[in-house]
Amino acid sequence: MAFIEVTDISRRFVMGDTVVKALDGVDLQVERGEFLCLMGPSGSGKSTLLNLLGGLDTPTSGLIRVGGDNIAELDENGLADYRRKRVGFIFQSFNLLPTMTALQNVEYPMIFAGLPPAERQQRAAQLLTAVGLGDRLDHKPTELSGGQQQRVAVARSLVNQPDILLGDEPTGNLDTKTGEEILTMLTSLNQGGQTIILVTHDPRVTKHASRTVHMLDGHIVGEE
Amino acid sequence: MRFTDLMQLVISNLRRMVGRVVFTALGVVIGTGAIVILISLGAGLQSSLTSSLESFGAINQITVFSGGGGPQGGSDQALDARAIREFQSIPGVEAVTPRVSIGGTYQLNRLQGGATTYGIAPLAADDLGLAVERGTNRLSRGTIVVGPKVAEQFFDPRRPQTEIEPPDLFGQTLLLQLSRFDPETGAQEDRTVRLRVGGVLEETGGETDFNVYMALDDVEELTAWQQNGVSPRWEQEGYPTLIVITQLDPAIVQSVEGQIADQGYFAFSIGSSLQGLNTFFLIVQAALGGIGAIALLVAAIGIGNTMVMSVMERTREIGLMKAVGAHNRDVLTVFVVEAGIIGVLGGIVGVIAGWLLSLIINVVALAYISAQTAAQGGADPGIDRIAYTPLWLVFFAIGFAFLIGLIAGIFPALRAVQLDPVRALKYE
Repeated sequence: MAFIEVTDISRRFVMGDTVVKALDGVDLQVERGEFLCLMGPSGSGKSTLLNLLGGLDTPTSGLIRVGGDNIAELDENGLADYRRKRVGFIFQSFNLLPTMTALQNVEYPMIFAGLPPAERQQRAAQLLTAVGLGDRLDHKPTELSGGQQQRVAVARSLVNQPDILLGDEPTGNLDTKTGEEILTMLTSLNQGGQTIILVTHDPRVTKHASRTVHMLDGHIVGEE
Repeated sequence: MRFTDLMQLVISNLRRMVGRVVFTALGVVIGTGAIVILISLGAGLQSSLTSSLESFGAINQITVFSGGGGPQGGSDQALDARAIREFQSIPGVEAVTPRVSIGGTYQLNRLQGGATTYGIAPLAADDLGLAVERGTNRLSRGTIVVGPKVAEQFFDPRRPQTEIEPPDLFGQTLLLQLSRFDPETGAQEDRTVRLRVGGVLEETGGETDFNVYMALDDVEELTAWQQNGVSPRWEQEGYPTLIVITQLDPAIVQSVEGQIADQGYFAFSIGSSLQGLNTFFLIVQAALGGIGAIALLVAAIGIGNTMVMSVMERTREIGLMKAVGAHNRDVLTVFVVEAGIIGVLGGIVGVIAGWLLSLIINVVALAYISAQTAAQGGADPGIDRIAYTPLWLVFFAIGFAFLIGLIAGIFPALRAVQLDPVRALKYE
């Protein structure tokens, strides 16, 4: 059995009178240590699948097993715990808190985990140093470039040592060169054993992935 | 989530919107200030009235009158020796003494003075709270104890308009002028009794300052003379007034007074009047506080509005909170506490503002009142404050403002909790 087992999941949204099938009977297996890309045009259901894997959303039907646990049947608190302990997110628009420094932004998830301040700061500084921002700890997001901001976000996604790192178009807001730097960083994380799943429609991203799944209209249409 | 982290998060969130927080808290300032000032006015009025009532006499003394309109009436209800024993057996009663007044004016050399003279049991002065400034309060035959203001009542009858230096009465012999009328001829007969001042009472600010106290036996004898030799036989037929002294507890005063009244006597005490007055003022203060609470309610709506706006503006942040694993409880707590802190800040400033304003009212109003009474030639009204802020009010007002803030924050916080994280993270 694979580390992540997605079995026949569907996700429907009701928009007024019409029902939109964002996902329609999708099956997917992901092994530990994979670097998976979900490719497809907008509306293909790739982001919906990512959100389901991240516990931000629940499927209308189907099973999602992560390490044997079916997260499709978790309640809100269970999902919050799942997100905190097992998943790290990076977003297209970074989603850093503008009033906080780089260090505080990385500390932020650990606040909700209830870790003591000294431990939080030490770990946040360690991770920021690892992503090459050791000299930018006290900078606010507005004082950092886009690439630096996304590196802060990567550091933040790693603080709780997640099983899976999920990224929704993490290079979408970056120029090619900076995007390439971020992908290189993610690749080296993957080489260190980190399971990574990215959503993208940029073919250049897929070069870094160990596997790419193509999606269209709520179905998986191919793999390479 | 740790408490210190929660507070740090809340404070940094509030600092981000400091302008809005100030305006929102201003509503709370007004509401809390209104509560503080209105209740202070009520409490000030209460304390002025209470202290002026208390100056009428000790609060643990019950005055019992004979011939009161009790249900039984009649000779059974005489305040005689038996009644004294009965009253003494009521739990909570410390002492019972008769009190009988006798008319007459006093003379010291060429000066004349008036005072109410009371006959009391010779050893009852301590029970009645009559402490002496000079001499003794023990009454022996032929001696009297005078209140400190009695001397001021003396005047020169040949020049009644002229103010004189009050004589020092202590140790002096005063002449008490009594008169009686022959029942058949109507002819007036005068008598002069020599009385030595054995003690001067401490000033209490109450009616005792103006009284003269004499041994009961002296008063009985003089009354018999006034009644043309007929003894009043108070012990057998009843004293006109008994004073029942109880333990110093308003509840006991009230219970003893009730038991005496139940036996058909007419009883009165400052203590139980105060009790009634306190109840009245409790209602007044609640009503005044209610008016202030309306202002605070409006402020609560302001807090709710600010928080709703804040939740909208921080939608992405809420999405992020959820994405990094914050429980709904954490999200709720952050927003509710933010609202509560706005309430507390407004409450603290409001209490300070209300308290300062009540100080100003005291200065201005008291100056006005004393100017008015002076212009009308009246005496000092003896009011020392118009508004009085009790300590409990300070804590109550701040606590109430906090609570109002928390409650106002619940609805916006629930909206934050209910946000869908996927949409919240993409919110523009």
